[in-house]
Amino acid sequence: MNALANMKQNMAEFKTLDAKDKKSRVADLLLNNAIYILLVIFVIYTATQNKNFLTVNSLVNIVSLAASSLPIALGIGGCIVLTGTDLSAGRVVGLTAAISAAMLQAVDWGKRMFPNLPNFSNPPGIVLTILVVIIVGGLVGVVNGFFVAKFSLHPFIVTLATQLIVYGLILEFYMLNGNNGQPLSGLSETFKNFVTGAMFRIPTGNGQSVAVPWYVLYAVILTAIMWFIWNKTTFGKNMFAVGSNPEAANVSGVNVFKTTVMVHTLAGCMYGLEGFIESARIQSNTATTGLNYECDAIAACVIGGVSFVGGTGKISGIVLGVFLLRIIFVALNMLSISQNLQYVIKGLIILIACSIDMRKYLVKK
Amino acid sequence: MKKALALTVAAAMALSLAACGGSSSSTAASSTAESTASSAAESTASAETTGSDINAAVFYYAYSDTYISSVRTALDADLTAAGITYTDYDGNSNQTTQNEQIDTALASGANLLIVNLVTSGSSDAASAICEKAANANVPVIFFNRAVEEDGNEGAILNKYSNIAFVGTDAPEAGHMQGKMIGNYLLENYDSVDLNGDGVIQYAMFKGDAANVEAIYRTQYGVEDCDAVLTAAGKPALEYFDSANSDKFQCDLQGNWSAQAALEYMQTNLSQFNEGNGNMIELIICNNDNMAEGCISALNAAGYNDGTGKTIPVFGVDATDSAKELIAAGKMTGTIKQDAQGMADCISALASNVASGKDLLADTDSYTKDTANNLNNKIYIAYQEYAG
Repeated sequence: MNALANMKQNMAEFKTLDAKDKKSRVADLLLNNAIYILLVIFVIYTATQNKNFLTVNSLVNIVSLAASSLPIALGIGGCIVLTGTDLSAGRVVGLTAAISAAMLQAVDWGKRMFPNLPNFSNPPGIVLTILVVIIVGGLVGVVNGFFVAKFSLHPFIVTLATQLIVYGLILEFYMLNGNNGQPLSGLSETFKNFVTGAMFRIPTGNGQSVAVPWYVLYAVILTAIMWFIWNKTTFGKNMFAVGSNPEAANVSGVNVFKTTVMVHTLAGCMYGLEGFIESARIQSNTATTGLNYECDAIAACVIGGVSFVGGTGKISGIVLGVFLLRIIFVALNMLSISQNLQYVIKGLIILIACSIDMRKYLVKK
Repeated sequence: MKKALALTVAAAMALSLAACGGSSSSTAASSTAESTASSAAESTASAETTGSDINAAVFYYAYSDTYISSVRTALDADLTAAGITYTDYDGNSNQTTQNEQIDTALASGANLLIVNLVTSGSSDAASAICEKAANANVPVIFFNRAVEEDGNEGAILNKYSNIAFVGTDAPEAGHMQGKMIGNYLLENYDSVDLNGDGVIQYAMFKGDAANVEAIYRTQYGVEDCDAVLTAAGKPALEYFDSANSDKFQCDLQGNWSAQAALEYMQTNLSQFNEGNGNMIELIICNNDNMAEGCISALNAAGYNDGTGKTIPVFGVDATDSAKELIAAGKMTGTIKQDAQGMADCISALASNVASGKDLLADTDSYTKDTANNLNNKIYIAYQEYAG
């Protein structure tokens, strides 16, 4: 309702402008939304080239691919709002994926990593596993946040360090108990069904149907929770205040130290949940699981308008950014374009998105 | 007070790190690190040292690699049993890192290099390492990853003395996988051909764009299968996506990862499925990890759960988890790369050096590259594994 009134007001204001102003206003509008306009053109082009692109099957695929990379992006978004970043994200996903897999391997699996572990493949066991990954992820986040806030180190440095430390822990973890670096798989059916099982099925004709996995629901829930935290809590408001100007925030009575630590901790918890989901989704977890996940997550945030300038960003933007990257992945595959071009196109989109973002900021100044 | 707290936290972190480093493999490494320091001065002299004076440095291309981890575990045990002190290094998929580690190891007195080259099949990278070793008069045992380009055999192995290569014949895994798939298809042709068009539509997943092993496996996995099929009067395989001229999908990060295979396969299944009558009927993967990723995508679509419909999936490596999947009927076959056999051979060569014998003494029982007359290129054979 509000938005509609807003639009009407904008429209009325627009009509009062002279021709020249009108022109520049339209140009601004086009430029500010260039990334979405490009996306729409891209989708239409792909759909005309490959009729499968907009089928139910394909849409479900895009949604589930996007859902699988949402939690990490939602987590890292907070760090970027604080003008920081988090390079440790992917490795935390790898570590927590390994922990989830080790805890939830089927009891009758021949190569169980911890054969003496009780059977966690039941509802309380799964809840316990989720708690463990949240705590492990959160701990790394606490360390990140503590060093960033306490010693005013740039998050790039701190998280670079924790990235290395966590990778070392991952390598050690895979060598434990005679596992000798072998992949962790043989996950229990309960765990797989809990994450990748069919939440519901959409019929696609011919008596066939496509399953929407449960982790789509989890991504939606996490998005809702993060939206609430960012927009409706004091902590969320403090995060944006610290992000735009820590000194001002401090003077206004915001506890900058606490806020920074909490943002990183929250991010760590999200990586933990991402690891939990990835573990079941990939099914064969190795030391490279999670490698470079942070790159896509950061790219998604930046494309979605979470600015490195700090203090700005929306959950809806992050969701859009994640979808955009996944749509590019699927579309390029369906167009059978050389896969090498994916990098070029991703790079160009990040560049364009950031330029538009900075342009807005410069204009404001 | 706050400072004290900060100090405590830092100390706790350092402690926990030390505690985490306490597993068996790294104890061996750290104890050898100590002996490295103590013997650094005396052992740089020559390669003709005896017994306990040998101080081997083992360079792995990446600790994160599943197969290499099996070799590392086996080799650590073998070298310990042979009484050879050793230090392990992780090249972390970076040739520069590995070269620097080799410099450091030589400077600290290593007198035997055991090298798993990062840049597979690059004679330039290998020659740089051989030069370093020759300058220090230290023997080199290369293993697993090729040291010469295909068609350039002998460029390294003939040029330098006191070096050896223990590995696999890179194309062999592909040849073997192709034949295995061909024979499997001949026995199960009609049940595999889901849409009954008389042709098998396959998907191919490549581990790394530039790795020679990946290139050969991708090529021969299909070519040899086609040869078996056409010899029996069946049509050759057909790539499922006629628009893709590469005829494979590749892990762009070069990690041979399950995740890449999973995401490709999931996307493929959204276009190519039984509803559309164009289901992928056969999946060939460069390694078992990728095979597991494909199986994960198939599971989500209701296939390969061990009881219902099963799409044949083939890999290479015979990792423990792949063996379990084959036993459970979720995967069809793989090619075993013999980690223990490779470690045993490397250890035998190292023992030769330790006992002052020729590097290649008593190695006639091994398969060697006779085609190119290379006595110092030892092949560890692959084996088919179908449960």
